Amino acid sequence: MEALGINLGLLIVQIIAFIIVYLTLNSWVYKPMLDMMESRKTKIAQGLEDARVASEARANAEKEAAKVLAAAQAEANKVVREATERAASAGKEVKAAADAEATKAREAAMAEAEVERNRILGDLRGQVAALAIAAANKLVGETLDEKKQHVLIDEFFSGIKGGKVVVAESLTGDSAEVTSALPLTTAEQASVKKSVTVKEISFKVDPSILGGLVIKVGDKVLDGSVAGKLEGLRQTLK
Amino acid sequence: MEHKKRRPWRRWVVLVLMIVGFILGGNAFFPAVQPEITVAAEKLILEPIFENFLGLGPFYLVNTLPTLAVTLVLLIVIAFFANRSLKKSQNTDLVPRGIGNVMEAILEMLYNLTEGSAGKYAKMIFPWFATIMIYVLFANLLKLIPGFESIGVLHHAEGEGHAIKSLGGVWSMLTPAKVEEGGYILAPFFRGISVDLNFTASLALISVVMIQVIGFRAQGLGYLSKFFNTRRMFKVPFFGAMDFLVGLLELISELSKILSFAFRLFGNMFAGIVLVAIVAGLLGKFSILPAMIMMFELFVGLIQAFVFGMLTMVFMAQATQGHGGEEHAEH
Amino acid sequence: MDGQSLIDAMRFVGAGLAMIGAAGAGIGIGLSVQGALGGMARNPDTYGNLLTNMILGIAFSEAIAIYCLVIAFLMLFKVV
Repeated sequence: MEALGINLGLLIVQIIAFIIVYLTLNSWVYKPMLDMMESRKTKIAQGLEDARVASEARANAEKEAAKVLAAAQAEANKVVREATERAASAGKEVKAAADAEATKAREAAMAEAEVERNRILGDLRGQVAALAIAAANKLVGETLDEKKQHVLIDEFFSGIKGGKVVVAESLTGDSAEVTSALPLTTAEQASVKKSVTVKEISFKVDPSILGGLVIKVGDKVLDGSVAGKLEGLRQTLK
Repeated sequence: MEHKKRRPWRRWVVLVLMIVGFILGGNAFFPAVQPEITVAAEKLILEPIFENFLGLGPFYLVNTLPTLAVTLVLLIVIAFFANRSLKKSQNTDLVPRGIGNVMEAILEMLYNLTEGSAGKYAKMIFPWFATIMIYVLFANLLKLIPGFESIGVLHHAEGEGHAIKSLGGVWSMLTPAKVEEGGYILAPFFRGISVDLNFTASLALISVVMIQVIGFRAQGLGYLSKFFNTRRMFKVPFFGAMDFLVGLLELISELSKILSFAFRLFGNMFAGIVLVAIVAGLLGKFSILPAMIMMFELFVGLIQAFVFGMLTMVFMAQATQGHGGEEHAEH
Repeated sequence: MDGQSLIDAMRFVGAGLAMIGAAGAGIGIGLSVQGALGGMARNPDTYGNLLTNMILGIAFSEAIAIYCLVIAFLMLFKVV
């Protein structure tokens, strides 16, 4: 062993040296380092745990915020919808009112127009009737010559006779007034006296009745004149 | 924004040093000397400093002892500063700075490795693993410092030696010329401690002993059944006997671990210095090549430190695990 | 040449022959690294595990070379 340099004394020295190194490193380096690694590991675990808690809290907060936001959104939607509805209904009401107003106004206007029209129509008719009567008067006045006057008077009496004009019984009184357009002939006066049973008869001539006869007994009037008929026509035209 | 170009000036320094080494290496003033290579550490003083050290015989002052002292002082200083840095960071923010950070980075990697193979016994194994690795690493790297293996005391050679040339004062220099009588041999002041079988053998002994200690601490007396496997002896006599023999082989294998640990490290490191010395002596002028071999030595030293520590750790981790005996015991 | 010189010469020869055994260790180391690297290439996740086992296998292979080295030393330095 001497040639290989192995010497028990040196071996023991080396072993002692190693033990010194081991103890030094163990107490000065490994133990603090392992402690530090341990505490760092716990610190990291703590940090991770904290981060997890924080992230959970954040998730909760986010959820809460989302909830609040959704509620607010719903509220806003509701408000908007209500406002819209209200506005719509208000509009509808306003429109309805306006419509009603308009209808009323239109109806009133229409009624007024109707009244006016009626009035105008009435006026018009009156005028038309007046015109027509005037025309008729003129025509009748021109066409009623003496002969025709006598024919008319004859027809009147024949009408009384034939029962067409029912006056025989009612035309009874103290005095009668007979008006004619032309002075009556004696024959005609006789037939008047025959048909009207009164004590005395007065004859009057009035060309404005155009033709025929108007017999007035007391307060009763038997109008067989052309003017009377025209008046009746005018009344019906009106 | 002008991007400043990085100028790596260090490579020029290395090149200049290589050229200077090439010029100085083999000239007339500094001729290359084939060094004396011995397996044993050289004695600095020929007489023993203790006549009977602990009753074990004479104790010589060999040149690995100064290196051992230097290594110890260096490691203790580093440990002290690392301790201060770690303590400071422990009280502040758990982030060490400076040397504490370096130590923490290396040791955390080693610890994770240990935890990967040993699991819950990592705390028990880790200090031994890390100590052996750091110690061997320092021993291997210190050996590469210039001045190691080259400056020392001159002894009178017993056989043939080198002629010397005086450099003035007490300093002299070996010359390549060999003389039959009255020559000198060099005993360097510093010799790498890993090129000393005492160092490697002591580490191997400690490692193997601690493997057994950790085995006992992890498994109790059940650890002994690894070596004296009598579990199945009476149930199945033939295979039981075979198990017993295998167990005895385990015992031999444990003893061979000491040998292989010690000689692996020693062999690699010794081969390194032999290679450097022979290449330097043979090539003479072309002394750039030894520089390359020194670089290779750096690599080998790193690897061997890692292998020594790693093997210790793996063997310890294996010792903590049972030898497949638990299942049988439960039946 | 006297007997002592012959024995010295034979010591060197014997040491050299003993180191032939390192060849086997070299092959073994190469094979184990090959297997480990192949495994790492196929399955990079197993890197750490394979590295540990590879170093262990290299150490066992290397032990053979170390026995050779020891024998060579024994011869070379006249230990026994």
